[in-house]
Amino acid sequence: MGRYAIRRLLQLVPVVLGTTFIINYMVWQLPGDPFAGRCGQRPCPDSYVTAMREQFGLDQPILVQYWNFLKNLFTGNLGTDFNGVSVATQLGDAWPITIRLALMAVLFEAIIGIGAGVLSGLKRGGFVDNVVTVATLILLSLPIFVTGYLLQWILGVQFGVIEPTVSDAAAVPELIVPALVLASLNMAFTARLTRTSIVENLRADYVRTAVAKGLSNRRVVGIHLLRNSLIPVLTFLGTEIGSLMSGAIITEGIFNIHGIGGLLWRAINGQDYTIVVPVATLLVLVYLLSNLLVDLLYGVLDPRIRYE
Amino acid sequence: MTEVLSEQVGRGSHSGALLEVDNLHVEFRTRAGVAKAVNGVTYSVDAGETLAVLGESGSGKSVTAQTIMGILDMPPGKITGGEIRFRGVDLLKLPDDQRRKIRGEGVSMVFQDALSALNPVFPVGWQIAEMFRMHRGASRADAKKKAIELMDRVRIPAAKDRVNDFPHQFSGGMRQRIMIAMAIALDPEILIADEPTTALDVTVQAQIMGLLAELQRDSNMGLILITHDLGVVADVADKIAVMYGGRIVENAPVHDLYKNPAHPYSKGLLESIPRVDHKGQELYAIKGLPPNLLEMPTGCAFHPRCPYRRDNCVTDVPQLYTISGTRGSACHYWREVIDEGER
Repeated sequence: MGRYAIRRLLQLVPVVLGTTFIINYMVWQLPGDPFAGRCGQRPCPDSYVTAMREQFGLDQPILVQYWNFLKNLFTGNLGTDFNGVSVATQLGDAWPITIRLALMAVLFEAIIGIGAGVLSGLKRGGFVDNVVTVATLILLSLPIFVTGYLLQWILGVQFGVIEPTVSDAAAVPELIVPALVLASLNMAFTARLTRTSIVENLRADYVRTAVAKGLSNRRVVGIHLLRNSLIPVLTFLGTEIGSLMSGAIITEGIFNIHGIGGLLWRAINGQDYTIVVPVATLLVLVYLLSNLLVDLLYGVLDPRIRYE
Repeated sequence: MTEVLSEQVGRGSHSGALLEVDNLHVEFRTRAGVAKAVNGVTYSVDAGETLAVLGESGSGKSVTAQTIMGILDMPPGKITGGEIRFRGVDLLKLPDDQRRKIRGEGVSMVFQDALSALNPVFPVGWQIAEMFRMHRGASRADAKKKAIELMDRVRIPAAKDRVNDFPHQFSGGMRQRIMIAMAIALDPEILIADEPTTALDVTVQAQIMGLLAELQRDSNMGLILITHDLGVVADVADKIAVMYGGRIVENAPVHDLYKNPAHPYSKGLLESIPRVDHKGQELYAIKGLPPNLLEMPTGCAFHPRCPYRRDNCVTDVPQLYTISGTRGSACHYWREVIDEGER
């Protein structure tokens, strides 16, 4: 397992290099000039544009730019954005908020999704099962921005239960509804996956054995059945952490949360590659690491998996 | 036995055998119709006794065992009649929590395929230890120690080193030994072995049967051995119940049946065992197919395949005729079958 982990970590190197290069290249390919529109109603003077391009190295070939990017990345020097604000500070402010939001979303997915899935799987065809089936169908067919605006309007505007937008501090209570919105799709999918897994394992021979051993219902379900049924579910939850982070862009936009989603959104509009590239790189890293973690976790959850 | 059980299921307060299945009826309600899997099965096992229940797939032998254990899938299964008395108390009428305590403590079960019957994600030692922890409230350490002792007892080599291994890391025979260790952990009074050797190599089969017989002798358990393999039964069993179409068609002490079967079906089974002295000859097979449980033949369920068939076999269901003492045959013409065997 140790060797497997090291090999997987080494595999990350070419993947990170490849993805970051593609990100750099794509930003470089964006049409228009990031500095041309920065002088209000008038076109910017050529001297300003040239000076700025020189300052940020945009006049150099893409490979040189990429090399500089890597150098800066590994020396931890992210520099400033086009407005002269430290990129590291902006990331440092935004990152914890998004992590908080994403973790809360994962928690909701796990607790509500798995809970609903277990309940409906155990009593297949029962009342709870039907409610969960309909509810997940609704959630799965609504895009996140519809769910988001709908909840914001109903809870925030009509009933005033929550503030429609989140404050700069983005405290945990404020993030509950946004996290639910962010989690909604995965939550529905988790519930369905759990249900299927439970229904499948309920008929397994080892469950029958557990009953024959004279164990209580609670132990048969809570230990023997659940431990097996949750393997695919936890794998799914883990691999989706990365996409939750990037999915946060829409949710953060709706609820005006100053996380990396909002940061990325503004930076893309302003063609500010000094922000886009590090944020995208960070998302790639989160995605890769959470995948690696899931693969390693899988071996712990299911002893039949062997790493060769 | 726990105290609760001793109160409920009082020792010696009944006259019958330790475990009695009495006129049991079980059916499965499926979309295609009602499948009558068990139609009035009656058998009994006493302490120290081995009953072999013999029959092909779909004869109801496993369903009867599952009903005794209380692990029948209901629905679609439904018990439509009969009693299962353990120490004189009808298990089918016991509340769930008391029934649960009898599983493992009073009546225990070994399944056919140990690989799927053991939980794949827990170490084998943990699974055995669970019996002591859940039934006896033993601590983890004590339970584990007892699990190692049990693994020694069923002769798993280097039990101490293997206690933390997972089921998939064992060979088929070793897995079945673990299954057996788990089943006998709490010294049950009745052990049901549902085709315990079917999934194993022939040499390993003999070892497992030997182990079961030895454990049974040592602890004076009643053993119900469910199988479709006549060869397995001869050395181990005291008596045999042959099942066909959810009924017992012949009941006999093991040697009587081997010497001279009293039912055409048992006779067919015996004749279909390959024999060395008949080398080169075609193997005997009972003609026709097992009955469709959804549409049982009228009269005797075996009549479409029976060489002794007469007209009344198609209309009259044969009762289990008593031949002598504990021997019975559900064939209108059992005399003929026996006489022919004696010639």
